[in-house]
Formats: sequence, C-alpha cells, structure tokens
Amino acid sequence: MPKVSPDFKDSLSKVEDAGALAYCYQCSACVGECPASHHCEGFNPREIVLASLLGVADYLTDADSVIWQCTTCYKCYERCPQGTHPIEVVTALKNLAFARGNAPADVTAVRDTVKENGVIIVASDALAKRRQELGLAAAPAAPASEIKKILE
Amino acid sequence: MAKSAVAEYTLFLGCMIPLRYPQIEAAARKALPKVGVKVVDVEGFSCCPEPWSVKGAGLDDWLAIAMRNLAVGEKSGRDMLVLCNGCYATLTEAAHIASNGSDARAAADKKLARLKLSYAGKSRARHVAAVLSEAGAGKVAASVSRPLAGLKVAVHHGCHLLRPAEIMGFDDPFEPSRLEELVEALGAEVVRYQGYTDCCGKATHDSTAALTMASDKVEAMRAAGADCLVTVCPACFEQFDLGQVEIKRKLGKDLRLPTFHYLQLLALAQGEDASSLGLKRHHIDVAPALAKIKA
Repeated sequence: MPKVSPDFKDSLSKVEDAGALAYCYQCSACVGECPASHHCEGFNPREIVLASLLGVADYLTDADSVIWQCTTCYKCYERCPQGTHPIEVVTALKNLAFARGNAPADVTAVRDTVKENGVIIVASDALAKRRQELGLAAAPAAPASEIKKILE
Repeated sequence: MAKSAVAEYTLFLGCMIPLRYPQIEAAARKALPKVGVKVVDVEGFSCCPEPWSVKGAGLDDWLAIAMRNLAVGEKSGRDMLVLCNGCYATLTEAAHIASNGSDARAAADKKLARLKLSYAGKSRARHVAAVLSEAGAGKVAASVSRPLAGLKVAVHHGCHLLRPAEIMGFDDPFEPSRLEELVEALGAEVVRYQGYTDCCGKATHDSTAALTMASDKVEAMRAAGADCLVTVCPACFEQFDLGQVEIKRKLGKDLRLPTFHYLQLLALAQGEDASSLGLKRHHIDVAPALAKIKA
C-alpha cells in the first residue's frame, strides 16, 4: 500500500498552472499525441496527473522516475479540454525530485555548468578558432558570478 | 511608434549558437540586414536558461535567470531577437509569468534585487521566424538573388515555437504554415510530411526514444520527397544533424538528410557562398541538397 498524501497536489501548485490538475477527468486526450507515451516504457501523462491528484505520486519523485522522459512538446497542454496542463505537473514533479536529490545526474550537471559558467557550453580554443574562421568576434564573457548568486 | 524600414533588435544568442554552432550566428549576421533587420550586441546575457534541465531543477531559479536576461535586454531599450526555440520559450514564458505577478515572480524579484536589477515587463523576446514573417514573405523574397529553385524542403518548426500557442503566439499549434511561407519565399518548394508538427525528441531522457522520434521524422520527410530539412532552433538542428550520425550507429538507419537552420538557407538564397557559411561543419553532408538547386 503506497503512502497517501492528500495534500500532495497543493505542493505542486507553486509551479505555474500545475495547480489546475483538479479539473482532470481522466479522458486521455493528453496521451493520444504524447511522444513519450508512444516511445518510452511507463510514461503516461494521464496516470501522472491521477497519481498526483490522489496523493500517491511520491514514487514519481524517486531516482529514475519516468517523469524525465517527457519531451516538453506541450501537445498535452494544447489538447487538454480542461486546462489541466499535464506538462506543468511534470515540471512540478521534476522540481520536487531535484529537491530530494533524485534528479538524473546529467540534469544536475547542466544546472551546475550554468551555475559555474553562466552558460551551458564552456568556451574552448577550438571554438574560438571556428568563430575566427567565420569572421565572428570572440564570444562575449558570460556574467558567471551573477548567475552563481542566483543559483546559490 | 512610426514604422521604420529598418527594425532594430538587441541580439540574444543564448549558448548553443555562439558556443557550438557559430555558423548559424554567421548566417544571421550576413542575412538579417538584407531584410531590414538590424541587430545590436549588448553585454551581460547568460544562458536563457534552457527549459529542460534548469527549469526541471527549479522553476524559481529558472525564472530568476530568465528575468535577469529580460532586465538586461530591457535596459537596451529594444526587444530581444532570438534564433533558438529554447531561448524563445524560456524568455517568452518567463515574461508571461512575470506579468501575472505570481508567487514565483515574487521569489525571482528578490533574487534580482540582490543583483540591483529589476524587470518592468517592457522588453520581450521575438523569434526571428516571427519577425521575418511579420516583415512579410515579400520582403524576404525581395532580398533573394539566387533562388533555391528545385530544392524540396521539409520544415521542422520545433515544439517551443508553436506551443503553448496562447503564450508563444506564432502560429496554429497543430497546422502551422507561416514558416513554410518563409521557405517558399526563397524559391524553394515545401513538402508537407506526416507528423510535421511532431517533436524532434531532443529533450526526452530516454536516449533510444529520442533517436527513434528523430528517425521517424526524417523517414517521413524522405518519404515526402524532401532533399533537406530546415529548423529554426539549434537544439532541433543538433538532434537531426548530429542525431542522424547516432541514428546510423544505434538504429542502423543511414538517412543522410541534410539539415539547415532557416537563416543558412536565407543567406544562401541571398547569394552567400556555402564556404563562407561554415556548412562543411555539418555532420550530414549538405552537398547533395545544394546540388539540387538549379543554377
């Protein structure tokens, strides 16, 4: 028997639009064109919303959760007749998973790269040479210290 | 404000274009002035930040960094021009959230105050596809000196240009056509294919599924007779260009459909030489597509 947390859905409402999940009537309009549902084992936005509504979604914030399979294509957002926005529920669950230390290593690594450098790609000599070949000025320095202050 | 023949924007390049695909930046700087779009560089921008990992880790932090970029853009007194769907999605959604005065905005405001910055909601991000579309296909066509006649192009819009339509405001989320009109303005022929608004698959964490999604799309483009595909996003570009190398290695399919950013096709049609555009850096050889263009 999973642990039931009746207030779980309230913890999602801080993410924009995720709080509208109570309007879901489980019609599956979000599933029909969901690419992750078609291609990834175990991903189903209708089930993700239902588990969140019932307060049994803790497992979705565990390590290796299916939530990271979402492609963020926003087709569920467009197709939902109830304005539920399953993708925002997924984002809210991702935020909870990260806070629990359960985000995939590469997601954390991208965030760390932005925190240290202000950008997701670190400049290199090879890149500088390519920019020069194309007649482009050197890439400007990113405001790394300011971004670090935001992410600390 | 009087409508001037030259529109000025602050250029927001993000990360992938200047730091991994500078050939797209080079194409933009050559092509845009010829259609009356002047770009101005300003200092101080960071990653937009990218809307999968950074947003997945924490919406508050993602919003604060995005609002910081919007604040820097706002100081320049111009709207920001972006060449990437990811930057467009982040900056547009962040401006939308900021205008709603939500809890998330209040948290982001506090972080910005520590940097002595604030975002008043005056500047916004404009996608280059929207700016060109609003300028008009006729204006784009007027800049063409070497039409891409004979070239059949499959258009991949990319999800974050289209959806959510009520926030992105570019085109119909399931039956878009404005980007296709911009391709036709270059003298090329657009081919519609099955699933043309589907996702490239870049952002899923399931690497096999990601390649299958891209592979399905490229196969549908091939089946419709496309000689190449065009995107307006460096992440989608990478998923198809580098992705087709991975598709061959892991799925055993040798698809080789040349991949372009729209600005590269625009620069080519304006008479820029392929060698000055860095096209040889693409993983999938573009020569078969260029050979289709009738001299």
